[in-house]
Amino acid sequence: MVKLNSRGIEMSFTWIFAIIVGISVFIFAFILISKIIDTGSMQSDAKVAKEVGVLLNPLETGFEEGKTSSFSIPTKSRIINKCYTEGNFGRQVINVRQFSFGKWSTTDVDVGFLNKYIFSNGTTEGKKFYVFAKPFDFPFKISDLIYLTSSNDEYCFVSAPEDIENELYNLNQANFFTEDCREDEDKIQVCFGGSGCDVNVLYDEGSGSVRKEHEETVYFETDALMYAAIFSNSETYECQVKRLMQRVDSLSQIYMGKIGFSASRGCNSNLNNDLVALRSLANGLGSSSGLNQIKTLSDDISEINNYAICSLW
Amino acid sequence: MFAMVMIVDKKAQLKIQQMAFVLLAITLFFVLAGMFALVFLLSGLRGGATALEEKNALLLVTKLANSPEFSCGDAYGSDKLNCVDADKVMVLSKNIDRYSKFWGVRDIEIIKIYPREEELLTCTLSNYPNCNSIKIRTGESGAFSGVPHENFVTLCRKEQEGGVVYNNCDIAKLLVSYDQK
Repeated sequence: MVKLNSRGIEMSFTWIFAIIVGISVFIFAFILISKIIDTGSMQSDAKVAKEVGVLLNPLETGFEEGKTSSFSIPTKSRIINKCYTEGNFGRQVINVRQFSFGKWSTTDVDVGFLNKYIFSNGTTEGKKFYVFAKPFDFPFKISDLIYLTSSNDEYCFVSAPEDIENELYNLNQANFFTEDCREDEDKIQVCFGGSGCDVNVLYDEGSGSVRKEHEETVYFETDALMYAAIFSNSETYECQVKRLMQRVDSLSQIYMGKIGFSASRGCNSNLNNDLVALRSLANGLGSSSGLNQIKTLSDDISEINNYAICSLW
Repeated sequence: MFAMVMIVDKKAQLKIQQMAFVLLAITLFFVLAGMFALVFLLSGLRGGATALEEKNALLLVTKLANSPEFSCGDAYGSDKLNCVDADKVMVLSKNIDRYSKFWGVRDIEIIKIYPREEELLTCTLSNYPNCNSIKIRTGESGAFSGVPHENFVTLCRKEQEGGVVYNNCDIAKLLVSYDQK
């Protein structure tokens, strides 16, 4: 009971005790609720990241030369693309952060995949995302490369070679433009053979380099890696190229094993030494600038395989 | 006077006891509510994880046959969809340690279904190709378990007869299973 007298406010022990306990209970409840909300948002981020990875599975199937798809996340999100090279195949990690209650969630939950190669900028932000996949053969099929872009990022391809332009046109991806976009400053300008653009591509029959402002120049062989270099930052690109070379090594081992089976049925192949050399070069790749050396050997191997009575792939 | 002090003391003790009980009840309520919330969250999480594993296995089984480690490529004629190279898969099954977590599923097995054979014989290096089941990856138990999903594929290899090399293709089932959380 609170009493007022001439000396001031007098409170009984029960009231003081009740107030302290009440405050403690409220603090405890507040902490509990905020922890539950944090866990819930972390769970949601992890779930979205895993779902994105799983939804990319169908893109990796086919023999189609390039196909596009899109997915949307209910809230504005950031997809953080992380790449690691440790282990036999390295690791593709997707980390999703969602914008809720006026701030970005901060999850530490990384969802990893060993069999995916996603090329994107370190952080891709938006609600709608486009994914486009293309097979990478080097000399045999290594994997389907996945290019992830946000609908917020629009790309304008300037002076692209005819076959690239046709491919981009046929993709019909809403954030790719090949005509009447040169003057639009909001679009990311991808210039073939030019300079002073956001992305400068030097392209010569499937090989060349990509240079972006404030980033190191990266090198590519095959169109699949050219798109990879355009849509990803140099750090992600170099890491994913190393991972792809790890896969080249593993697949070469499988084909070397297959040579043994084929030989036992009268199907001899003289590719064993070349595959050993390919493995060695793939394992020794330091950066994308060394890709041209592997490409030369890969072309030789491809030619031998194409003319063999029993081709390995 | 002494009796009065005793009564006031007893009243105070009773109030403190009441307060202690209320305090205990409130704490117990929050602990129980917290535990209930935690159990609810965890069960949802487990269910969600299983659903995602299932979705992964379902989507994977349709695309696995076309992944480079399995697919025929151009080795048996022009590109064939859902065609598995038996020789490659046999090599893969012997080096599966390298690929243990690669596809994120529990078991992968290929069972030849046509031409039909009575007995299910697991392929080894010594009996291949006279066998009908290639266990590519199995869980810790060594047997195919977990929740399976399957897809029909063509299983091809090269054969030789009378000095002529030809493509021998059978119909098979590709099974992929995932762990139920």
